[in-house]
Amino acid sequence: MASLMVRRRELFSLARILSGVSYLGPASLSVCSGHRKCNITRLHLPLTPSTSFHTTVLTSAAQSAITVTEEPDTLFQKLVVLVKGHDRAVLDSYEFFATMTAKELGISLGKVFEPPKDIERLTLLKSIHIFKKHRVQYEMRTHYRCIELHHITGCTAQVYLEYIQRNLPEGVAMEVTKTAMEKVPDHILEPMWKEIPTDDKPSQ
Amino acid sequence: MASRTSKTFLSLGRINIPLLGFNKSSGKVKYATALSINSSSGNKGLPDRGGRGSFVRRPRREAGEPRTGKMPVDQDWTAVYPAAAPFRPGSIPLPVRMGYPVKGGIPPEKKGNLELIKIPNFLHLTPAAIKKHCEALKPFCTEWPSALETDTKCDEHFPIKLESKEYVSAGPSLRNPSARIVHLRVKLSSLNLDDHARKKMIKLIGERYCKNTDVLTIKTDSCPLRQQNYDYAMYLLTVLYHESWKTEVWEAEKTVADMEDYSWEDSPSQKNILDVLLRMKVAGEGDGEEVRQQLLGRKDVQDYKDSVTRLKNEGESESSMLQYKEAVKKVFNM
Repeated sequence: MASLMVRRRELFSLARILSGVSYLGPASLSVCSGHRKCNITRLHLPLTPSTSFHTTVLTSAAQSAITVTEEPDTLFQKLVVLVKGHDRAVLDSYEFFATMTAKELGISLGKVFEPPKDIERLTLLKSIHIFKKHRVQYEMRTHYRCIELHHITGCTAQVYLEYIQRNLPEGVAMEVTKTAMEKVPDHILEPMWKEIPTDDKPSQ
Repeated sequence: MASRTSKTFLSLGRINIPLLGFNKSSGKVKYATALSINSSSGNKGLPDRGGRGSFVRRPRREAGEPRTGKMPVDQDWTAVYPAAAPFRPGSIPLPVRMGYPVKGGIPPEKKGNLELIKIPNFLHLTPAAIKKHCEALKPFCTEWPSALETDTKCDEHFPIKLESKEYVSAGPSLRNPSARIVHLRVKLSSLNLDDHARKKMIKLIGERYCKNTDVLTIKTDSCPLRQQNYDYAMYLLTVLYHESWKTEVWEAEKTVADMEDYSWEDSPSQKNILDVLLRMKVAGEGDGEEVRQQLLGRKDVQDYKDSVTRLKNEGESESSMLQYKEAVKKVFNM
């Protein structure tokens, strides 16, 4: 009974992984190849529990509808994931998880390092009234872990970040710095007053 | 064995024996596992012993052997922990111990251990589970275009870099207002600018330009949404570009003080060197324009001009001072 419920929750969470929007209703999975954008809309999974439902259900769903859209994909030159937490062991395990995921998905890893920890200390009065000489001291330690990824497309970044963020443990915060690259837009290629060199009034 | 000893204790008529005390007498301190059985049989035993029978509880069935005893070695662990769940000592066949040990003892065992429940566990993210998840996620990923392997190629084709941050944390609100900030970085050499346009652009952007790396950085945070800030940054770039190509009427009044680089023509240094040379050697030839032009054309005067220009533009350094010294020596034939 409990295992059935656990599996259904996992089904929903996995569906959320795949859908990103909602897990109700009919599905169309669109996936891109090459340089085109991935458009994940909705997913409908049959609610039949089985021990290895990850593979059985998903192969059927993946084969059902994979379409390609022509919208150009964003390109990220660098993706920096900084995780902060109070416990170093938890961050160690999370780093192992994130790096393994990146390797499995074929994302090129840059540096994975540990910035030095921050300790915030407070000195407070021990008693609510008088007794100024007796204080109590607290400290809050924040440990960091930094994972850099290079050359990652928008679709892959969305998938990776959503997977990473859904499995973020309790008490851990994340900051993601994305550096996207773009072509020079068409309206900046040539100056618009090439025909009229001296123009007093700027025209839009 | 431990349960039997606790049941014999019940027969002696004592229920709430601190098991610690019992174990100390045996010489080795350890925590007994039978604490729960002790209390549960205590509940059953009380009405029996008292004989009053005020209320008879429904007989509670015995908790069987925990699942760990029946787990095969080659089981599918992803089925045991498919999602994030708290630590269940009966489901994990590992002799884990956690906590501060008693003096001379060992950390407490996993049964009823709050420390193990409190800490986040990664039992649902074993390497096998990660591989399964990634296999499922692979169809949604795209490949990086093979033509953009190196950073230089990326910079050549995609010179504009947009940087933004995302924040994930738990708190009263999911939003973080710093997530709206957008940084736009572009190298001016990748834009189509001529000499005048480049100088005017640098004057317009002022603080946002880094001379060493030739990078313009526009930081926008005035709009509440990231998309709006991105649009505003692109608008600013467009306006700067087009305005720098325009030549206003008042730009003709540019003075020497406004110039970015030092130019030697019509400078006090040129006048001084020509006066000195005229007085020095060619005193008899007169002070005509063609004499000045002829002097300017000489190689040592050109070297002097280069060294002075370098000193003024790049600042003083060992090599530039040496170059100036050599040029002065050549001009005065020392």
